[in-house]
Amino acid sequence: MEVTPLHRSPPARLLELLTHPQISEAVCAPPSQCAGEEKRVGTRTVFVGNHSVSGTEAYVAQRFCDNRIVSSKYTLWNFLPKNLFEQFRRIANFYFLIIFLVQVTVDTPTSPVTSGLPLFFVITVTAIKQGYEDWLRHRADNEVNKSTVYIIENAKRVRKESEKIKVGDVVEVQADETFPCDLILLSSCTTDGTCYVTTASLDGESNCKIHYAVRDTIALCTAESIDTLRAAIECEQPQPDLYKKMNQISLVHYQPRINHCGPRFVGRINIYSNSLEAVARSLGPENLLLKGATLKNTEKIYGVAVYTGMETKMALNYQGKSQKRSAVEKSINAFLIVYLFILLTKAAVCTTLKYVWQSTPYNDEPWYNQKTQKERETLKVLKMFTDFLSFMVLFNFIIPVSMYVTVEMQKFLGSFFISWDKDFYDEEINEGALVNTSDLNEELGQVDYVFTDKTGTLTENSMEFIECCIDGHKYKGVTQEVDGLSQTDGPLTYFDKADKNREELFLRALCLCHTVEIKTNDAVDGATESAELTYISSSPDEIALVKGAKKYGFTFLGNRNGHMRVENQRKEIEEYELLHTLNFDAVRRRMSVIVKTQEGDILLFCKGADSAVFPRVQNHEIELTKVHVERNAMDGYRTLCVAFKEIAPDDYERINRQLIEAKMALQDREEKMEKVFDDIETNMNLIGATAVEDKAWTEHQEYGLIIDGSTLSLILNSSQDSSSNNYKSIFLQICMKCTAVLCCRMAPLQKAQIVRMVKNLKGSPITLSIGDGANDVSMILESHVGIGIKGKEGRQAARNSDYSVPKFKHLKKLLLAHGHLYYVRIAHLVQYFFYKNLCFILPQFLYQFFCGFSQQPLYDAAYLTMYNICFTSLPILAYSLLEQHINIDTLTSDPRLYMKISGNAMLQLGPFLYWTFLAAFEGTVFFFGTYFLFQTASLEENGKVYGNWTFGTIVFTVLVFTVTLKLALDTRFWTWINHFVIWGSLAFYVFFSFFWGGIIWPFLKQQRMYFVFAQMLSSVSTWLAIILLIFISLFPEILLIVLKNVRRRSARRNLSCRRASDSLSARPSVRPLLLRTFSDESNVL
Amino acid sequence: MEETPQHCLSRLPDNSALKQQELPAHRLYFTARRVLFVFFTTGIFCLCMGIILILSARSTQEIEINYTRICANCAKLRENASNFDKECTCSIPFYLSGKMMGNVYMYYKLYGFYQNLYRYVRSRSNRQLVGKDVKAVEDCAPFKMSENKTPIVPCGAIANSMFNDTIILSHNINSSVQIKVPMLKSGLTWWTDKYVKFQNPSSKNLADEFRGTTKPPNWPKPIYDLDKKDPRNNGFLNDDFIVWMRAAAFPTFKKLYGRLNRTHHFIEGLPAGNYSFNITYNFPVTRFQGEKSVVLSTLTWCGGNSLFLGLAYTVTGAITWLASFAMMAIHITLKNKQMSFFHQ
Repeated sequence: MEVTPLHRSPPARLLELLTHPQISEAVCAPPSQCAGEEKRVGTRTVFVGNHSVSGTEAYVAQRFCDNRIVSSKYTLWNFLPKNLFEQFRRIANFYFLIIFLVQVTVDTPTSPVTSGLPLFFVITVTAIKQGYEDWLRHRADNEVNKSTVYIIENAKRVRKESEKIKVGDVVEVQADETFPCDLILLSSCTTDGTCYVTTASLDGESNCKIHYAVRDTIALCTAESIDTLRAAIECEQPQPDLYKKMNQISLVHYQPRINHCGPRFVGRINIYSNSLEAVARSLGPENLLLKGATLKNTEKIYGVAVYTGMETKMALNYQGKSQKRSAVEKSINAFLIVYLFILLTKAAVCTTLKYVWQSTPYNDEPWYNQKTQKERETLKVLKMFTDFLSFMVLFNFIIPVSMYVTVEMQKFLGSFFISWDKDFYDEEINEGALVNTSDLNEELGQVDYVFTDKTGTLTENSMEFIECCIDGHKYKGVTQEVDGLSQTDGPLTYFDKADKNREELFLRALCLCHTVEIKTNDAVDGATESAELTYISSSPDEIALVKGAKKYGFTFLGNRNGHMRVENQRKEIEEYELLHTLNFDAVRRRMSVIVKTQEGDILLFCKGADSAVFPRVQNHEIELTKVHVERNAMDGYRTLCVAFKEIAPDDYERINRQLIEAKMALQDREEKMEKVFDDIETNMNLIGATAVEDKAWTEHQEYGLIIDGSTLSLILNSSQDSSSNNYKSIFLQICMKCTAVLCCRMAPLQKAQIVRMVKNLKGSPITLSIGDGANDVSMILESHVGIGIKGKEGRQAARNSDYSVPKFKHLKKLLLAHGHLYYVRIAHLVQYFFYKNLCFILPQFLYQFFCGFSQQPLYDAAYLTMYNICFTSLPILAYSLLEQHINIDTLTSDPRLYMKISGNAMLQLGPFLYWTFLAAFEGTVFFFGTYFLFQTASLEENGKVYGNWTFGTIVFTVLVFTVTLKLALDTRFWTWINHFVIWGSLAFYVFFSFFWGGIIWPFLKQQRMYFVFAQMLSSVSTWLAIILLIFISLFPEILLIVLKNVRRRSARRNLSCRRASDSLSARPSVRPLLLRTFSDESNVL
Repeated sequence: MEETPQHCLSRLPDNSALKQQELPAHRLYFTARRVLFVFFTTGIFCLCMGIILILSARSTQEIEINYTRICANCAKLRENASNFDKECTCSIPFYLSGKMMGNVYMYYKLYGFYQNLYRYVRSRSNRQLVGKDVKAVEDCAPFKMSENKTPIVPCGAIANSMFNDTIILSHNINSSVQIKVPMLKSGLTWWTDKYVKFQNPSSKNLADEFRGTTKPPNWPKPIYDLDKKDPRNNGFLNDDFIVWMRAAAFPTFKKLYGRLNRTHHFIEGLPAGNYSFNITYNFPVTRFQGEKSVVLSTLTWCGGNSLFLGLAYTVTGAITWLASFAMMAIHITLKNKQMSFFHQ
């Protein structure tokens, strides 16, 4: 994992936190739980076929949910209330609702339509969108729920709808069908009771996984025979997989390697034979078939439903991710509060002044404007309150509904550009980038620190076996026999070679100690042996090792009936019975197999990280190998140590018993297994070590600090200790000073912890995590922006990420170009929205000083309503989608530009004040310009006079033109769409005004706008004034743009000469310490 | 992977200009020459415009005579609403030093009269004014109905407070001969007001049509008696009424009262000499501490004699020029620096 501060300071710091999935180390001890008694509360008992098992005490029917999947949120009946409720929970919507209600109830100057219509529009659009999405979910649910399945009832095959499956039903599934619920595999129609399953639809992994039937029920292959089975299954109550729960982060490292064994599951089956004596068998993930997975290469299977409907692992894991909010969104809320404050202040000032003004009787009630009886009778306090509300309503446009609509639309539409970008298209996997959330587009332009997983992210995850050492002797670059190929370069291996037996043992270990499968093609078994073998494994390391062994003459031929077949150097086939596999996990960081040779010897082979293996072998063997391992690690290879031990038959008996016992445990199975494993993997003999190269995408890179997981755990986890905080801050300080920090051998949990630690730094920097494997999910979820690589390690990371791209190299364009542009666009959008509404409302506020604070609106209701919806909405939307203030190529090639917008630069106080003052200036110009214009006797040569509506219309016209032209001035990238929208909006305004004033509208009481616009335009002075006022309003902006341009030009010149000197000093030529990672440019990235 | 190229193609994003953000676009580049050219032209335009406007405004004449204090006794009388039926006239002599050429317009101007109060602006009935339903008074509070529950025509606060002074301008050729200056009371309104928004009920006899209604409380006579001589200036079509009904934007405002009928003696405008306004003082302004005056004005193509627009243009033009000179200076210094930079 790597942390790259993007712009904090030169030199850019890289903090590399490296993790090898194979050799990450256990750091936090599992929370100690009482492993003694098994509690019954957390388990459920399922009776196979719903046949009660005689002999058991009272049959208590447990109630389970049915097999209906409900991913939809609404039904036809509750859609309206529920959706409305949820929409009005958003503060903005609620605010607008309040304004609307005030307008309806209190006699306010603007009609409820002005705010009701936009609100209605927003609510409707959102409701339609959500309704449609929910309809899609309903349809998908129905497809799943109504699909036909076959259930065995009374020894007959009964056809049913999927949703009718009950827990305990025996289900028959045919090849290429998906499992309708979580099933325990009882039997498949193969002799060994295995079946192949692909989980492509769940996590994108298309390789087949083997699942095993319970041993005692393998034979029950027909509907009749399976019906005779009497068994009860005890298993845990459904619970989602732990890695989803971020709040229980301390448990994250339990997260199973999805690739290896599927989700966590433990259970026990009690089979009652005729003798009524129960036989208990353990159930594990390998017996569990998940809903949503597909049966492959197997004719049919019988399984018993254990979890149904919403209790299936799939449904439980289908939970919305916690919502991430971008920095821009937080700024919007801050601005909102400022503007809300302005609004309240304005309303309060106006109310106060109104009552001050009315304190003289002739102002309170002049003879020409007498109060109605009702008005005289109302309480003064009440009147003041309604006045306050009225002013609020009058000025409420300062916080526009439409901004939220536009922001949403901008985000939604804008995110398409990422998935459309053909630069992100990768031919190998035939896919482009994927956007899982559009809420964080702009956050891509704000990243301070990058955390990256190394394996598969920075590297290609295509591994190659480079060398090995056997008993301290180095072997390298072999193509034929081992004999005579020992390298002579190292001082240790000079004319020295390991014992032949040891060599063979080592190679056998490589061939046996793994979970690699042979891809079964349609061909007959015989063919696979001769033809090219295709190895499949979730871990590319293992394949590299098996292939490496092959180069030395030992070929793994696959599993047959529990026997691993290996072809040795003499082309003889050796068979080993696979007794146990002690699976790899991130905590133990090693795996073992126990096999039985043809001669009957029982051997244990173990491979794992040096730190996990060295303590478990006899000491004197370590030294020689250790040197090798360390040298290889320095060269950036992934190293694994191989050890073995012989197990005496007696010991094996004991081990076997312990293992089975642990596997049977219902509670705390993992801890128990771990303990047994621990006991077994001791006192081994070290044979050697391997080095595998993981090809990196790019070139070398230096690091400032290298720290490994166990040290890190001291820093992070020594909790409750005041000194730990001290360590933490020292660690952080060192990190800040480094270009890059490399953290190796970490548990997934630690990745998240590191991210969280950096996230909580002063100034809360924006973090980005990028990774490709399930072990990166925690950090992807933890950081501000999570990016998944659609790599070889499955789709877990991509599915949990906010954005996913095919390759690490795509990050560059994603951040530098897309992120930068999105940020600039949305920041401008937000500023512009507040600006244009302040311009809009300020004249209205000023007008109150000239109309006795009587809440007389300056603009007609139609203008009030249409301003944000029609006249000024599209240009800014087009701008915020299309603007490229700097072209994409320049952005990608000059990372310095990215630093310019760091720290939310465009939404800081400075720019905000600039926009606010600009708006205030313009609003004042509009109002007073027109005010002075109106001081003349007449604006027309025929002496006719204009009224208040003409005044408002002139102000409004100047406003619309200024605001639109201001955007035109800001636009640097004029596509035909911009032209169309900007000039179109202005034309529409003129057209609308003519139209609105051209007709006596039958539904309006007041025809106040009738011919106002046309009459206004018949005056030459008005034309001249409008043009002048627009020009004056824009003048500061024009000057600023011109000056900026001058400055930029000189700055560019400075830049180019600085760059020249930079290239001279170049990069210090220190030998790369550990890894090859970022490219030269991405160093400054 | 069985899926063939077709599948591959479908996943490859479209290579369209829009989707790749590569729409052909025009970028704005500011070259110094272009910017300076635009600035100088704008400056010239503004300056020229300003000078023209100032000259035109200067060519007009305007006389304003405030008669609030001059007619103090009348003002005093009107302060008490109960004296509404007592007539009060007031004559204000003045001397016109130069002749007013061309069309002369007479305005009355009110100070401190808030025609733009929210409730006031709304207190009118357009349905009534358009002649469709003279009894439609819903929006006219507090002047909807008289005390005996008959609808008021025209209803509402605006109509009720209509300016009702009579102003007659006389030209005193010498101490004995006084000629009444002929004033036209037509063409004072917007065309659309007179012909669309305000209509009398269709009947010939207006008084019949308005039967069953009451005049506004402040009015001395009903609407159908506003101008008995000219039926096209009577009822809702009365120009003074229509002018009043268009609410002014600010508390100080002028409204057109009449225009000079250029016949006989006044064919060229108002000749210089002694004039007097004979005012029938009805409209109370001192009650709200307001003032009123009469304005005589000539107009040009750009309206009245306000210098604002002309000055604004001139100042803007000057500033634009200043800015462009400053920019030129910056440009030249930068250019010189660049030269030296390269010479090194």
